[in-house]
Amino acid sequence: MVHYSDPPLLVLASLANGPKHGHAMIEDIVRLCGTRLGPGTLYGAIARLEQQGWIKPLPPEERRRPYRITAEGVRVLRAKLTTLRQFTKAGLERLEAS
Amino acid sequence: MNPRLAHLLVRLYPHPWRERYGVEFEALLQTAGGGLRASANVVWSALCERVFPTPGLKIEQDRFQSLCVRAPWGMFGLVPLFLLAVAWFVALLILWSGWKIFLPGADTPFVPIDDMREVCYFNIGRSLYFGAPILIGWGIGLVAIRQRSKAFWPTVGLVLIALIAGTAQVHASRTAVPVGLGHISMSFILGHSVHGVPDGLLHALLILSITLLPWVVGRLQKALYLST
Repeated sequence: MVHYSDPPLLVLASLANGPKHGHAMIEDIVRLCGTRLGPGTLYGAIARLEQQGWIKPLPPEERRRPYRITAEGVRVLRAKLTTLRQFTKAGLERLEAS
Repeated sequence: MNPRLAHLLVRLYPHPWRERYGVEFEALLQTAGGGLRASANVVWSALCERVFPTPGLKIEQDRFQSLCVRAPWGMFGLVPLFLLAVAWFVALLILWSGWKIFLPGADTPFVPIDDMREVCYFNIGRSLYFGAPILIGWGIGLVAIRQRSKAFWPTVGLVLIALIAGTAQVHASRTAVPVGLGHISMSFILGHSVHGVPDGLLHALLILSITLLPWVVGRLQKALYLST
């Protein structure tokens, strides 16, 4: 099985259906596409997404901190997924034609 | 993951990153399970964070950083030259002592040798001699990227180191007295011309290309980051 690996996009997609903390994101991304992000990779993506304003931290629950996607993050996620869908569609059409 | 190991791994990250994410990241490491793969992932990510810090995170203005701002000519020009001089001094000392210890009767240390011990000894000096300019060049590049320095002084430093390393030659000679004292000396010459370009300059160009690798990696990383 080929795993999709674009950590920022995976994190955004994971947060699309509600806020999650790090561990929940890792498990959700495994269910979503089979990719298990390493903890360092996950937090590298979280830090950059937060600095870009695409996700926001929520008040911590004990030592864990959940994150939610922002409106700008939703817009970026939608744009990226739309591009991916067009790319996938075009690629599959070419495969079927050959 | 073992709480102690988790704590140690978090300590690998730079201070501003730890201040912001340290507590929650340590909690994640403790709950998400460990293993060699997770630990290696954290070590690699911490290294990346040190080399390419997350933009926007408050970076401490430490003494080193302020030196890079106030005296870039020193940090990117004089310090690398001093480091190169020290590294070459040690490398030539190894060559000279190896000559004295293993080849006392030879007129030059540049003779074929078979003994594994001697090969290892001389190769330490050789690696230091040839590796020092490249490692120092990489150091300049990494510091410049990390400190987000203007390109001028790091470029001057890189070119200087490459020119010195490309044109340097080591000579060994003995005094006329039989089994006299051996001398090791250095000179800096451009060398013979290959297709109109002195080979010293070609060597310098090669060293410069290798030392520019961190900058190229940095630019690629930045381009990747902007594309997300």
